[in-house]
Amino acid sequence: MEPKKYEDEIKQASNEKDLDELEIKYLGRNGTINSLLHKIKEIPADERKEYGQRVNQLKKDLTDLIRSQRKNLYGKSPDSYFDASIPGNKFPKGSLHIISYAVEDITRIFEKIGFIRVSYPEIDWEYGAFESLNMPKNHPARDDVEASFIDFPENKELGKMVLTPHTSNGQNREMRRVKNPPIRMINISKCYRPNWDATHTPMFHQFEGLCVDKSISIVHLKGTLDYFAEKYFGKDTKTRLRPHHFQFTEPSFEVDVTCTVCKGTGRIAGGKCKVCKSGWLELGGTGMVHPFVLKEGGIDPRVFSGWAFGFGIERVIMMKYGLDDIRNYYSGDIRFLEQF
Amino acid sequence: MNIKITHNWLMEYLETDATPDEIKRFLSLSGPSIESVTKVGDDYVYDVEVISNRIDYASVVGIAREAATILPMFHKRAELKMPHVVFPEPDNDDQRDVLEVIDPKNLCPNKYAVVMEITVGKSPSYVKNRLENCGVRSLNNLIDITNYVMIETGHPCHVFDYDRLKTGKILVRKAKDGESIITLDGKNHLLNSNDVVFDDGTGRIVDLPGIMGLQNSVVTDKTKKIIFWIETNDPKLIRKTSMRLGIRTLAASINEKNPDPEAAFSAFKKGIALFQKIAHGKIIGKILQIGPKTHKIKSIKISYENFDRLIGVKIERSTINNILTNLGFKILKKSDSEILVEVPSYRVADVSIGEDLVEEVARIYGYHNIPSVLQPPAYVEQPKDMEDLFVFQSKLKTFLKHLGLNEVINYSMISKQMIENSLLRTEDHLKLNNPISEEIEYLRLYLTPSLLKNVKDNEGKKDELRFFEIAKVYEPRPNDLPIEKYHLIITVNTSIEELKGMIAALFEEMNIANPVFENGNHEFFDKNIQGEIKISGERVGTFGKINPEIKRRFGITTDAFVGYFNFQKIISYYKPFKKCQPINPYSTIKLDKTFTINKDDTYQSIKEKAFNKSSLLRRVEFVSFFENKLTLRFYYSSTSRNITEEEAKAELV
Repeated sequence: MEPKKYEDEIKQASNEKDLDELEIKYLGRNGTINSLLHKIKEIPADERKEYGQRVNQLKKDLTDLIRSQRKNLYGKSPDSYFDASIPGNKFPKGSLHIISYAVEDITRIFEKIGFIRVSYPEIDWEYGAFESLNMPKNHPARDDVEASFIDFPENKELGKMVLTPHTSNGQNREMRRVKNPPIRMINISKCYRPNWDATHTPMFHQFEGLCVDKSISIVHLKGTLDYFAEKYFGKDTKTRLRPHHFQFTEPSFEVDVTCTVCKGTGRIAGGKCKVCKSGWLELGGTGMVHPFVLKEGGIDPRVFSGWAFGFGIERVIMMKYGLDDIRNYYSGDIRFLEQF
Repeated sequence: MNIKITHNWLMEYLETDATPDEIKRFLSLSGPSIESVTKVGDDYVYDVEVISNRIDYASVVGIAREAATILPMFHKRAELKMPHVVFPEPDNDDQRDVLEVIDPKNLCPNKYAVVMEITVGKSPSYVKNRLENCGVRSLNNLIDITNYVMIETGHPCHVFDYDRLKTGKILVRKAKDGESIITLDGKNHLLNSNDVVFDDGTGRIVDLPGIMGLQNSVVTDKTKKIIFWIETNDPKLIRKTSMRLGIRTLAASINEKNPDPEAAFSAFKKGIALFQKIAHGKIIGKILQIGPKTHKIKSIKISYENFDRLIGVKIERSTINNILTNLGFKILKKSDSEILVEVPSYRVADVSIGEDLVEEVARIYGYHNIPSVLQPPAYVEQPKDMEDLFVFQSKLKTFLKHLGLNEVINYSMISKQMIENSLLRTEDHLKLNNPISEEIEYLRLYLTPSLLKNVKDNEGKKDELRFFEIAKVYEPRPNDLPIEKYHLIITVNTSIEELKGMIAALFEEMNIANPVFENGNHEFFDKNIQGEIKISGERVGTFGKINPEIKRRFGITTDAFVGYFNFQKIISYYKPFKKCQPINPYSTIKLDKTFTINKDDTYQSIKEKAFNKSSLLRRVEFVSFFENKLTLRFYYSSTSRNITEEEAKAELV
């Protein structure tokens, strides 16, 4: 076999297909090399050794040539330039509502410490929204919790039908469902109040935590708030409690969280932080469950104690991402929705 | 509610080395929340949030009391000074009965009144400045004194023009239904029999006590004689009247919250002294003090163990005792295990159970000094139906997002117009009482009206719109709360094929075996382009192109295709996998065949027939549809041997 011929042939192969064919022709089962090896029987015995070595050398040369030509071909794109920056096939990209992400985050954070998410009515009787929470009729504390009522006949025992102004109506219902503590509840729901301006929408979302057990104390409430603040707002976030008043907790607190923008210093770039002014942002209301509320839920306050909180989801999103015009949330504007 | 007081004013009652900024900071951590402190001239103004149970600190005296207890806990010196106000000795020469007060039903338990000759004029600048810094307009010395006394002592008071009262008589009574009054701001109000009024004895109403004075008895710049007057009220009646008439004065907000009855007397003394000092006041006749001198005493017993249990750390017994004493509680009895304390008059309305004392001790001890530890873990089982609801919402929302849909959350309330535009009936919906806007008057019974509005509102913002929402709807029931059901809606403005593909993908994702799509006849949809979706014979959803009339009413110029599902129903059919079976090692024969579609021969019916005919048929695939010609691909195989093409052909429908 003339060296020149096969060498040219392989080097001139311009695509992988041609090269595959040459590989079969020389190195295949019925290829040149195999047929040369078959002929070894016809070679005189004393020349066989040298013949064998030559065929093997040829096999090696062919293998090397083909391999190197294959490499050449890989390096070359046939005719066109591959532009890595050109977009690929388009796949659809939708979005979830920003509230849905927060609901997921909050659920997961509390799930890890054993809190179960529950679902209770958004439309309830006055009893659930007020009386069971130690807010009797005509009590001034009801001023702080304005509510929208439904045009529906009043229930003799349970009062008027109301759009729940907070998630706290879940407290009594969860106590009655569980009957015997422990209770570890997270209630996330739509809430409604008759306010509609730049900072209020008539519908919003709250998440309510309720923990009832033997010997639950302020220490545990603080522990849970710190845990939540670190997980949701990020490490090094601090919380503080300030005295406040709610009818359904005693003691009652307001919780502040260190501002995520200025990291609680109150100052940014040499000036006052515009987001928080003082380093702290108000998260919402909390406290130790009022013995009246435990009793209404059928739980003995001498044996059990608990804490509860109710925070606004729009509020925590605002604190975390600085999205402050909450009217956008419910306007259905695609330009707002598709960002998330 | 918020009140404002000034620093210099506070310093009349408080001796301290704390700066205004420290006062703001420390008080906010352990007591009244001071929202801001602002320098005005040589004084500072504190803006104080008064929480509804702590009306006792809605005054200069009240804040001083809190500061005196709180500041030392932050290592600041602070002491309460109570300036001694001398109560005027009644003049022996003048014991005339110039004013007769009658309260047959004892509607105002305490009444303090004095008639004085005065000179009306401007207030001295310290009074005027303090009032204006506290957000109260200075009018004349007479009115200013009542406001000054209220801010300083925390009890509202009133001044009448003695001569305009005419009769020298005040009768406290309930109003009659239909009586009307003109308050001093010139507004007319219609009264009813729940309202308490003052009558001059002739049937003429001269005051709406505890809430606002009336035009016919208010002092003017011609006033020569006044009645300086303070009464205590029934907080519930004050609240009812004030709320109903919409008169929300500071006096009403205080009186409805049970102010300290003893503050009424302090206010009376302070007021008389001020009239004497800045209005040349001279007492005429007898000073009236009607009603009990001492007030209800309340005592509470609590075990020390309860402080430990609720606070979560053991606070020294002596510290507990000191905190309570500093706050004005009197320790009547104590043992190793419990204490009995008497509540000061200014906290009687607020402190009534042991937990209230726990709060007092904990806040002064300092919430920042209490450790922070998670409660011990406990297992609570989540009800399966609730778990499913949330798990599937989360899964399917994410899936729909990846199909290219945008999740929207709309208000649960919609307008009458939206209901009518959707050819639905308002009377089927729950309705709000006095909605703040007609846009949010009815509770949703379907999600569709909102989504059609979304399409309409977004036309021009983006060409192709693809929305979904999962939310509750509210189905009214007689005599009971509505049923709250979760619905799922998908709305696109692109094509019915796209919508149908999304629905099919959703069912496939949920591994729902054989959803059946049948043509439907729902009024909501275009009568030719709509369908129903059934699983095991149960209807779980509908889909179609919206009725052109609804489209016109909403003003939609593109199009709207809606897929609608009972969410709880579809998730009940969810399966994690379709079927788990071994891979068939035998050959599969693929055959294509084209059919003509009509009312009787639909895709669904051809498919059913094909499966009925052959046990070797594994799968039917849609290839194309053009001018009524439907091409399908059939996959045949046996699980026990290789079959031939001829065998397969014989199986074809």
